[in-house]
Amino acid sequence: MDYDPMAMDTEAEGPSVKISDASAHHVNFELSSVDLAFANTIRRVIMAEVPTMAIDLVEVEANTSVLADEFISHRLGLIPLNSKNVDDVAYSRDCDQCDNYCEQCSVTLTLHARCTGDEIMKVYARDLVVDSQRPNNWVGNPVITDPDGLGTVIAKLRKGQELRLKCIAKKGIAKEHAKWAPVSAVGFEYDPHNKLKHIDLWFEKDAAEEWPPSKYASWEDPPQEGEAFDYDAVPEKFYFEVESVGNLDPDAIIQQGIKVVQEKLAAVIKDLTDGGSGGAAADFDGPRSPDMNMNGGAAASGWDQGYTTPFGTAAAGGSSGWGQTGAATPYGATPYGQNGSNGWN
Amino acid sequence: MAPTATANESPAPVDADFSMNDAADFDQPIERDENDPANRGWLQGAHSIKTLPGSSETAASFQFVKEDHTLGNALRYIIMKNPDVEFCGYSIPHPSEELMNIRIQTYEGTALDALEKGLSDLIALCDEVSAKYVGAREAFQSQVAAV
Repeated sequence: MDYDPMAMDTEAEGPSVKISDASAHHVNFELSSVDLAFANTIRRVIMAEVPTMAIDLVEVEANTSVLADEFISHRLGLIPLNSKNVDDVAYSRDCDQCDNYCEQCSVTLTLHARCTGDEIMKVYARDLVVDSQRPNNWVGNPVITDPDGLGTVIAKLRKGQELRLKCIAKKGIAKEHAKWAPVSAVGFEYDPHNKLKHIDLWFEKDAAEEWPPSKYASWEDPPQEGEAFDYDAVPEKFYFEVESVGNLDPDAIIQQGIKVVQEKLAAVIKDLTDGGSGGAAADFDGPRSPDMNMNGGAAASGWDQGYTTPFGTAAAGGSSGWGQTGAATPYGATPYGQNGSNGWN
Repeated sequence: MAPTATANESPAPVDADFSMNDAADFDQPIERDENDPANRGWLQGAHSIKTLPGSSETAASFQFVKEDHTLGNALRYIIMKNPDVEFCGYSIPHPSEELMNIRIQTYEGTALDALEKGLSDLIALCDEVSAKYVGAREAFQSQVAAV
């Protein structure tokens, strides 16, 4: 077992990162000497599994605006909230301090706006008042980046109209709802000259003329005239572009993303070491294809319960999920004849 | 001929309609077995890994609940790098089930060893990339400051 799992076959140094451009809201970097699979894992995890804060619950006390409660609630959910050190916040669903929500697992924002003047009034994200009872000093602040410090517009009010509501912001991930996404865009490209022929470019006369070169084309050697196709070549340099929504620093997004991957792996290791399920084919009880009973053995016994639906209709009990325990239904027997008293005998 | 019969045999008379309230158990909550991995949403933590039927010491298929290409492909790659591993592949058997299967066949050592080694190698790779990113970030900042 003498090998370095991080080294690509061609290079001995292991992965490397080079940052080409960065600002408060984006970072472009080159990740090299890793596999396409790993680069894609980083991208996927940043896109869907980095936790942030977003408004998840809205209690509307008064809404005399022209917009419906749920319409405003949806808009509130989409307002980016600062999520710095979001690790301090617990997930509401597994918070042990409360049944519903509390200061450990949520941030409360209140909004009270009423138009008294003759002109149409705009309600902005800055009008949300953040409760001081919160896990840390950043979490839950609306992200405001415009020069006037207003934030996004939530609604417009006419004279006499009022908006009074309480918002509960919770921690979550974009896999559940896109409002928790830390990035507006994350992606990578590789092989700008298409030497690997992973892309089949459509063209009218000449692909090279009709397709503008990528901005990373100058970073790699163009293919030589008459160069033979390298069948052993694999993508090695990945040009990432990460564009933050503003709730987390781009650096924090990447670090958090890597951390999420590690936590997934750690959870699997933990399950393998103390779950003790490894190697026990007999405890497998999910639905299987009929031809999967390969080597028989203990697994064979797991097969006879038939298919169980996810809705808990117990095939064993003989009673269907609709609760006709043997009694006659207006529809006669079930088409599947489980009641023992069907119409045909 | 008088119908002797259970309601099942005779066709129900047209007026034998029943009110919604009598349609017993329609409003009864459908019970779901939360211990069945297929019924657990990805929100409710807890992984569980199983070996699929037909697995042996050196050639095993592992089923991961609530994992997808994010973990599957990277893990497949890193396990395949292990010279003791003859074959490693992954699949997602059905797009609407949150299941991911990894197949490992080894020349030497057990498939479980190879899986565990793959997991810790991938954690180490993450550490490495994370450290490299921090280094690159510092290099970039000093470069910007120098200009």
